[in-house]
Amino acid sequence: MTNETYKKLVDLYAGHELPTELEEQMELAAYSEPDLNQDMTTLRRTVDMLQSDPGIEFTNESYQRILMRLYAQGANVETSAPTPTHFQYHLPMQG
Amino acid sequence: MLTRASFCAMRSSLPMPNDALRDSLAEKRWLNALIEGDPTALGGIYDLYSERIFRYAYRMLGNRSDAEDATAETFLRVMRRSSELRADGAFRTWLFRITRNLCIDKLRQAKLMDLPPDMQYSGSEDRSALRVTVQQALSELPTEYREPIILCDLEEMPAREAAEVLRISLAALKSRLYRGRRALRDKLGSAVERTS
Repeated sequence: MTNETYKKLVDLYAGHELPTELEEQMELAAYSEPDLNQDMTTLRRTVDMLQSDPGIEFTNESYQRILMRLYAQGANVETSAPTPTHFQYHLPMQG
Repeated sequence: MLTRASFCAMRSSLPMPNDALRDSLAEKRWLNALIEGDPTALGGIYDLYSERIFRYAYRMLGNRSDAEDATAETFLRVMRRSSELRADGAFRTWLFRITRNLCIDKLRQAKLMDLPPDMQYSGSEDRSALRVTVQQALSELPTEYREPIILCDLEEMPAREAAEVLRISLAALKSRLYRGRRALRDKLGSAVERTS
């Protein structure tokens, strides 16, 4: 197999895109080829690390701040989330 | 006319085979309601997509405030263009494309002002440190590699849909994704070896 073919197979292996049988063959081949083993392991770990990243939390504060921006632009947005308490009271204008 | 209360009741009571199908049905119903002029429909679409759009914008921009701005602007565009929308399954692609364009504009502005990204992740210290390392390495990748990784690996979007968002062929998407992963692995270096 050429290096280019190996590289493509490693890319597919890293992304869990190979059928099980072919994946097992790749792992078998990696036993006797340390460079291939290193390539396969580190690339798959990179992909796994990315795919398991829960990312930034979408906080209630962000949810409400975005809604405020939408209201400020005249959007009528009625969501299923309860209205925060500070939206429920209208204080009299001073002065 | 579909009401939010009836839709929420239906959403929680009907047995659905999976979340994707449930969301796809919800999207179709809310879009039809929006097209028909139902004033409450934008809230339904906001509930369905605000989190995904915000997270995508955050991953593109690395900054909560800008991500909130981009998310709000995305939904404003949905509202302004509601008469042109069609419930034909391409809505999500269109939505992500709008967010992407807004993020690219913001990145251009930030580049002009050279603003540092704000990266605050929740979780344990080690995991947070690792995520910041990954985010940092990701932000250093060229955009053509970074975008497929954000859409396919972080947002778990199918490759074909990601290609449509980026307006490139599926083959080009996969080529950029694979090259991007290798470039990211090389940037992460020993951090990858320490994980298992």
